[in-house]
Amino acid sequence: MMFLRSCSLALRCRRFTNPQVTIRAFGSSRTARKDASENALDLDAWKSVMRSQALQEDSKIPSRSALDDNRELVEMWHQAGKFVPKNITDEQLEDLAQLTTRSAKKKYLKFLAIKESHKITKKEKQEKKKSEREAGEREQEELRNTFLLKFWSSSLDRVQSWRAAQAMRFGQPLVYDMSYEQHMSRRELENTVAQLMESEGCNRRASDPFHLHFCNLQPNGAYHRELLKRYGSHTWERLLITATERTHLEVFPQRDLVYLTADSKSVLHTFDHSKVYVIGAMVDRSIHSGASLANAKRLQLATARLPLDEYLDWECGAKNLTLDQMMRILMTVKDTGSWKKALEFVPKRKHAGFQQHSSGFTGAAKSRFVRNDSSESRFVRNDSSESRFVRNDSSESRFIRNDSPESRFVRNDSPESRFVRSDSSESRFSARAQNQLKNKTDGRKKQPERAQCREDGH
Amino acid sequence: MKKRAGMDTEELSPLRTRGSVKIPPPDHPLTISEWAKLKESSSKPDHFEMQMMTGLLATNADVNIAKSLLAYVVQDKGTLTYELLLRYLTLCVSGGHHSEVFDTYDIMTTCFKTLDTGASSLFIKGFSQTERWREALVVLEGMKKALLPSPRNYSDAIAGAALHGEIETSWMLYDELLELGLVPNQDTWQCLFQSGISQQGQEDKLFSVLSYMRDNQIYPEEPLIKTIKAWFESLPDQKWSGKFSYVAPSGECKNCKASLESIQLTEEEYAELKDKVMKKVIEGSDVFKKTTPEELNSFKSFVKQRPPFDIVIDGLNVANTTPKATHSETLLAVVSELEQQGLNILVLGRKHMLQPSRNWDRQNMNKIKQKAHCFFTENISEDDPFLLYAALHSGVHCNFLSRDLMRDHKACLPDSATRRLFFKWQRGHQLVISHYAPGKRVWFQRISAYDTIIQTSGSSWHIPYDENRGDRATYEVPQKWLCLTQEH
Repeated sequence: MMFLRSCSLALRCRRFTNPQVTIRAFGSSRTARKDASENALDLDAWKSVMRSQALQEDSKIPSRSALDDNRELVEMWHQAGKFVPKNITDEQLEDLAQLTTRSAKKKYLKFLAIKESHKITKKEKQEKKKSEREAGEREQEELRNTFLLKFWSSSLDRVQSWRAAQAMRFGQPLVYDMSYEQHMSRRELENTVAQLMESEGCNRRASDPFHLHFCNLQPNGAYHRELLKRYGSHTWERLLITATERTHLEVFPQRDLVYLTADSKSVLHTFDHSKVYVIGAMVDRSIHSGASLANAKRLQLATARLPLDEYLDWECGAKNLTLDQMMRILMTVKDTGSWKKALEFVPKRKHAGFQQHSSGFTGAAKSRFVRNDSSESRFVRNDSSESRFVRNDSSESRFIRNDSPESRFVRNDSPESRFVRSDSSESRFSARAQNQLKNKTDGRKKQPERAQCREDGH
Repeated sequence: MKKRAGMDTEELSPLRTRGSVKIPPPDHPLTISEWAKLKESSSKPDHFEMQMMTGLLATNADVNIAKSLLAYVVQDKGTLTYELLLRYLTLCVSGGHHSEVFDTYDIMTTCFKTLDTGASSLFIKGFSQTERWREALVVLEGMKKALLPSPRNYSDAIAGAALHGEIETSWMLYDELLELGLVPNQDTWQCLFQSGISQQGQEDKLFSVLSYMRDNQIYPEEPLIKTIKAWFESLPDQKWSGKFSYVAPSGECKNCKASLESIQLTEEEYAELKDKVMKKVIEGSDVFKKTTPEELNSFKSFVKQRPPFDIVIDGLNVANTTPKATHSETLLAVVSELEQQGLNILVLGRKHMLQPSRNWDRQNMNKIKQKAHCFFTENISEDDPFLLYAALHSGVHCNFLSRDLMRDHKACLPDSATRRLFFKWQRGHQLVISHYAPGKRVWFQRISAYDTIIQTSGSSWHIPYDENRGDRATYEVPQKWLCLTQEH
């Protein structure tokens, strides 16, 4: 170390003079010293080069605002190789200045850096494509002859708009409750509006749309501004939904409202077409458990949650679903009545598949058991089964505590074969049991089929 | 997780060369032509310099190799990037190459507008170890722009001042640190106590450090406690002698037989805690989140009508103590045990416990209702806030029985002083079932009678400390103490 320092000092005084004079004092082999001295020559040469590049500085601005400080922070972090954007707008700098802690600033800058890198890669791709296109020959597109008229997208828009307008007059209402401004951060609000747009679009494309209401939407509130920003004022004016600042309690009678929230204790088993379902327009990345339930409790509304536990083998993940997932689920269950089809829209990473045996029951089950008692002959074969069918509770053990081979066999059967074997009484018994098993979802649909079975028996 | 200063938790830009073969950095300084050859053979020539420098840093190599690399880059590109210089600086600071640090400082301040936070931290650390430590303070001042300097920066600066005998400056920096609202490191305190040993006249300031630690419920770790002991023993004419010991459950120090401060709260503290819990934990921003106003009012009148309780039981928590017995059996056994001791009991539960089922037997529930007062909330309400309300409103003597750590309720409280009060009250009043087997007697864990905090009685000091760098969780308190007594 000392040797090098003396060398570098020597260099600074007189560049490129022969340093071997100082070296001989140490008495080692000459060639090694020569290499080392050349290295020493090299090792500090960069310092002199850098010093000569001193920045031509303009006089420092005496008044430094928070914005300037933050801009400098971002610049220097970028030069130091940290994951921050190269260019940052004034608006973003203001947001950055609002954040106080180091980690908050870093996270925000990381987000901006990722956005920037996406933009850059997109631009590069575009330019590449452009250059390729120009390089390659332009192929002549053949004019195609066809008797089919082209279906323009504006025609599709018109069809969908008519359907939406019809839904506004005659369709079932669905309410999004927009009263969660205080609970959400800016980012969560942006996410909420994105999800609302997504669900509105999905609704518009459906064959039987809901009549969407955005209730509690304060004009010039955060929601409204964000919606205007995303939709654009032109589209927002012409959107076929009802956006009002009245609460849902003022628009609909209290007995018709059902608030859907994951914290509710009562489960929604059948979709009621006469009720108005309310969904809280909230994204809770920062968990506010019970916020939507609190809102429902305050207004004394009925609450319900989706039958996720009843149908899905839940693994890990929040049971709060996004707004567009909710829309799709409700749409599907309205159209088909089948929870199995509807709950396909729950993200697959959260669950391990549908449960093999279900423990759900529906309101229609009671009437079914009344009918079963009338035909006793079928239950003679199996004493335990009679008691099973008489007892009306929904416990899963009914199906498990079952040692009769037929019902076990029945559970795995496919629905089609049920009608094939309708001549023998045995299969009719099995059909009956199978009905009970399958009846969780589509109670009303199966009734005419059951009647058919019974008629065959008699 | 403590990483090197300047590279603490800051992310490196995505220059990682994944999938490409990494060339190991050389082990001796190379000439320019040799570097050029090496660069050609690398798979990603753009990132060659950074890759090499990072490799040198990782292996903590000889600084001359790095210098030769920089010489090559200057030759090749004409200038050096900020990032490369920053990595080089890290190598110098960690290796203790002071002259290099000085040179790099000159270069970086002339070539670039300002320094970033990483470079500033490194310079503070580097300068503090040398005779140019005052410049570290200049750098520290320069850091106070968009972000405040971290406690670690102050720690390095204070260490630098103390190392060079400038005690005044180090104390001034310490006061600045407290003013900015930062929490000092254990290293800072260690440095200050060490300087107190070598230079007398700082007793007041060091005692104020101890009272800061008491007010914020901070426990020193093993290196710091040893320094504190050494400092006490170094005080002339005061004849302190320190010994590491334990405290008996009754609150007596094993070493000097003095009894420690009681864990009970004073009247004012109790009233303040009661008020804050009501406002923040039970009502919070929205009373509907945990309960409803009607339920809350009915509970308040319920508590008012009854005589003050001696113990409040969290029914659901206690019932789940063992899987061997049904819930109602367990609860009945606990209630019977406490009734035999002659206590006035309140049992809190939810309405579903009144529905007869396998777990909640009607007969057991009736017996419980005879032996204790009961209150059942709605199934969707939370019962913990009611537990806290009842326990706090029944008076200082009232305990509560639950295994719940109550951390979520503690977190609802607004400031750390109230949270510490809550924690103190919880340690002094929470009963936990230690073991219970069906058919046998119920045993409870003993509540500690003393407060685990730095305390003094004038002629003695008792300081609890963390050994083994704290294996303890935040809801536990340390068990080992330093007992300092004065000989007369």
